[in-house]
Amino acid sequence: MTRTPETLARHELVGLDVRVTVASDPDLLDIEGEVVMETTNTLHVERADRAWQVPKAAATFAFTLPSGETVRIEGERLVARPARRTEHTGDSTWR
Amino acid sequence: MVSDQQIARERIAILHEKAEQAARDGEQDRAREYVRRARRIAERNRLSLPAEFDRFTCDACDAYLLPGRNARVRTRGGHVVVTCDCGGQARYRYR
Repeated sequence: MTRTPETLARHELVGLDVRVTVASDPDLLDIEGEVVMETTNTLHVERADRAWQVPKAAATFAFTLPSGETVRIEGERLVARPARRTEHTGDSTWR
Repeated sequence: MVSDQQIARERIAILHEKAEQAARDGEQDRAREYVRRARRIAERNRLSLPAEFDRFTCDACDAYLLPGRNARVRTRGGHVVVTCDCGGQARYRYR
Protein backbone atom coordinates (compact mmCIF):
# COMPACT_ATOMS: atom_id res chain seq x y z
CA MET A 1 0.00 0.00 0.00
CA THR A 2 1.29 3.41 -0.74
CA ARG A 3 0.26 5.38 2.27
CA THR A 4 2.86 8.13 2.15
CA PRO A 5 3.25 11.21 4.32
CA GLU A 6 1.89 13.31 1.44
CA THR A 7 -1.24 11.25 0.86
CA LEU A 8 -2.03 10.19 4.41
CA ALA A 9 -4.49 12.99 5.15
CA ARG A 10 -6.55 11.75 2.20
CA HIS A 11 -5.86 8.07 2.76
CA GLU A 12 -7.31 5.28 4.87
CA LEU A 13 -6.45 5.63 8.56
CA VAL A 14 -7.98 2.37 9.75
CA GLY A 15 -5.30 -0.08 10.79
CA LEU A 16 -2.57 2.46 11.52
CA ASP A 17 -0.94 2.89 14.89
CA VAL A 18 -1.49 6.34 16.26
CA ARG A 19 -0.42 8.51 19.16
CA VAL A 20 -1.98 11.76 20.28
CA THR A 21 0.87 14.25 20.58
CA VAL A 22 -0.97 17.52 21.21
CA ALA A 23 -4.47 17.91 22.61
CA SER A 24 -6.52 20.66 24.17
CA ASP A 25 -7.85 18.09 26.63
CA PRO A 26 -5.06 16.65 28.80
CA ASP A 27 -6.93 13.35 29.13
CA LEU A 28 -6.46 12.74 25.41
CA LEU A 29 -2.72 13.28 25.51
CA ASP A 30 -0.52 10.27 24.80
CA ILE A 31 -3.37 8.00 23.83
CA GLU A 32 -1.73 5.25 21.86
CA GLY A 33 -3.20 2.40 19.87
CA GLU A 34 -4.59 1.26 16.57
CA VAL A 35 -7.22 3.19 14.64
CA VAL A 36 -10.20 0.87 14.28
CA MET A 37 -12.96 3.20 13.10
CA GLU A 38 -13.45 6.71 11.84
CA THR A 39 -16.40 9.08 11.92
CA THR A 40 -16.68 12.65 10.68
CA ASN A 41 -15.41 14.14 13.90
CA THR A 42 -13.71 11.30 15.76
CA LEU A 43 -11.22 8.49 15.52
CA HIS A 44 -11.78 5.27 17.46
CA VAL A 45 -8.48 4.12 18.89
CA GLU A 46 -8.08 0.73 20.49
CA ARG A 47 -5.45 -1.08 22.46
CA ALA A 48 -5.59 -4.54 24.02
CA ASP A 49 -6.89 -3.19 27.33
CA ARG A 50 -8.72 0.03 26.37
CA ALA A 51 -10.62 1.87 23.69
CA TRP A 52 -11.00 5.59 23.14
CA GLN A 53 -13.00 7.86 20.90
CA VAL A 54 -10.80 10.85 20.15
CA PRO A 55 -12.23 14.05 18.63
CA LYS A 56 -10.17 14.89 15.55
CA ALA A 57 -10.46 18.64 15.83
CA ALA A 58 -9.02 18.80 19.34
CA ALA A 59 -5.83 16.86 18.77
CA THR A 60 -2.69 16.41 16.72
CA PHE A 61 -1.89 12.84 15.74
CA ALA A 62 1.30 10.99 14.99
CA PHE A 63 0.55 8.07 12.69
CA THR A 64 3.03 5.26 12.16
CA LEU A 65 2.99 4.03 8.57
CA PRO A 66 3.57 0.35 7.78
CA SER A 67 6.97 1.44 6.43
CA GLY A 68 7.88 2.66 9.91
CA GLU A 69 7.70 6.35 9.11
CA THR A 70 5.92 8.64 11.56
CA VAL A 71 3.61 11.30 10.19
CA ARG A 72 2.23 14.17 12.24
CA ILE A 73 -1.14 15.53 11.16
CA GLU A 74 -3.25 18.21 12.78
CA GLY A 75 -6.61 16.68 13.49
CA GLU A 76 -8.42 19.61 11.96
CA ARG A 77 -7.22 18.53 8.52
CA LEU A 78 -8.96 15.21 9.04
CA VAL A 79 -12.38 16.58 9.93
CA ALA A 80 -14.56 15.28 7.08
CA ARG A 81 -16.81 12.38 6.34
CA PRO A 82 -14.49 9.39 5.95
CA ALA A 83 -15.31 8.57 2.33
CA ARG A 84 -15.25 12.25 1.37
CA ARG A 85 -11.82 12.90 2.87
CA THR A 86 -10.05 11.48 -0.17
CA GLU A 87 -11.46 14.33 -2.24
CA HIS A 88 -10.12 17.03 0.07
CA THR A 89 -6.86 17.97 -1.54
CA GLY A 90 -6.42 20.88 0.81
CA ASP A 91 -5.37 23.32 -1.90
CA SER A 92 -8.71 25.07 -2.30
CA THR A 93 -9.11 28.45 -0.65
CA TRP A 94 -12.88 28.02 -0.71
CA ARG A 95 -13.36 25.14 1.69
CA MET B 1 -0.11 14.54 -7.09
CA VAL B 2 -1.62 11.12 -6.56
CA SER B 3 -5.12 11.10 -7.99
CA ASP B 4 -8.24 10.65 -5.91
CA GLN B 5 -9.11 7.48 -7.80
CA GLN B 6 -5.72 5.95 -7.12
CA ILE B 7 -6.06 6.64 -3.40
CA ALA B 8 -9.64 5.38 -3.45
CA ARG B 9 -8.51 2.13 -5.02
CA GLU B 10 -5.89 1.68 -2.33
CA ARG B 11 -8.36 2.52 0.43
CA ILE B 12 -10.73 -0.15 -0.87
CA ALA B 13 -7.91 -2.71 -0.88
CA ILE B 14 -6.95 -1.79 2.69
CA LEU B 15 -10.54 -1.96 3.92
CA HIS B 16 -11.01 -5.29 2.17
CA GLU B 17 -8.04 -6.73 4.01
CA LYS B 18 -9.18 -5.22 7.33
CA ALA B 19 -12.71 -6.54 6.85
CA GLU B 20 -11.43 -10.05 6.31
CA GLN B 21 -9.22 -9.81 9.37
CA ALA B 22 -12.06 -8.51 11.54
CA ALA B 23 -14.40 -11.23 10.29
CA ARG B 24 -11.84 -13.92 11.10
CA ASP B 25 -11.45 -12.46 14.58
CA GLY B 26 -15.20 -12.78 15.06
CA GLU B 27 -15.84 -9.02 14.88
CA GLN B 28 -18.61 -9.27 12.31
CA ASP B 29 -20.06 -5.84 13.01
CA ARG B 30 -16.75 -4.12 12.53
CA ALA B 31 -16.15 -6.08 9.32
CA ARG B 32 -19.54 -4.89 8.12
CA GLU B 33 -18.60 -1.26 8.76
CA TYR B 34 -15.40 -1.69 6.75
CA VAL B 35 -17.32 -3.28 3.88
CA ARG B 36 -19.82 -0.41 3.87
CA ARG B 37 -17.02 2.15 3.95
CA ALA B 38 -15.30 0.46 0.98
CA ARG B 39 -18.57 0.40 -0.97
CA ARG B 40 -19.16 4.06 -0.26
CA ILE B 41 -15.67 5.01 -1.43
CA ALA B 42 -16.13 3.05 -4.66
CA GLU B 43 -19.47 4.74 -5.20
CA ARG B 44 -18.12 8.25 -4.68
CA ASN B 45 -15.15 7.70 -6.97
CA ARG B 46 -17.05 5.77 -9.63
CA LEU B 47 -14.89 2.69 -9.28
CA SER B 48 -16.06 -0.89 -9.62
CA LEU B 49 -15.23 -3.14 -6.71
CA PRO B 50 -12.70 -5.93 -7.19
CA ALA B 51 -14.31 -9.26 -8.13
CA GLU B 52 -13.00 -10.86 -4.97
CA PHE B 53 -14.57 -8.16 -2.81
CA ASP B 54 -17.87 -8.69 -4.62
CA ARG B 55 -17.86 -12.42 -4.03
CA PHE B 56 -16.88 -12.36 -0.40
CA THR B 57 -19.37 -9.75 0.78
CA CYS B 58 -23.13 -10.00 1.14
CA ASP B 59 -25.10 -7.58 -1.02
CA ALA B 60 -28.03 -7.70 1.37
CA CYS B 61 -26.40 -7.15 4.77
CA ASP B 62 -22.81 -6.09 3.89
CA ALA B 63 -21.32 -8.93 5.97
CA TYR B 64 -17.86 -10.16 5.03
CA LEU B 65 -18.41 -13.80 4.03
CA LEU B 66 -16.24 -16.62 5.25
CA PRO B 67 -17.40 -19.84 3.59
CA GLY B 68 -18.11 -22.38 6.31
CA ARG B 69 -18.45 -19.72 9.03
CA ASN B 70 -21.22 -17.40 7.88
CA ALA B 71 -21.72 -18.40 4.28
CA ARG B 72 -22.72 -21.53 2.43
CA VAL B 73 -21.25 -22.15 -1.02
CA ARG B 74 -23.00 -24.70 -3.26
CA THR B 75 -22.73 -25.49 -6.94
CA ARG B 76 -26.00 -25.78 -8.74
CA GLY B 77 -25.90 -26.80 -12.42
CA GLY B 78 -23.67 -24.21 -14.01
CA HIS B 79 -23.61 -21.65 -11.23
CA VAL B 80 -22.37 -21.22 -7.71
CA VAL B 81 -24.84 -20.10 -5.06
CA VAL B 82 -23.44 -18.27 -2.05
CA THR B 83 -25.90 -18.01 0.82
CA CYS B 84 -25.22 -15.61 3.67
CA ASP B 85 -26.44 -16.27 7.22
CA CYS B 86 -28.91 -13.42 6.71
CA GLY B 87 -30.58 -15.37 3.91
CA GLY B 88 -29.22 -13.26 1.09
CA GLN B 89 -28.09 -15.21 -1.96
CA ALA B 90 -25.68 -14.44 -4.74
CA ARG B 91 -25.00 -16.47 -7.86
CA TYR B 92 -22.22 -16.59 -10.33
CA ARG B 93 -21.51 -18.86 -13.25
CA TYR B 94 -18.79 -21.40 -13.60
CA ARG B 95 -17.87 -23.83 -16.31
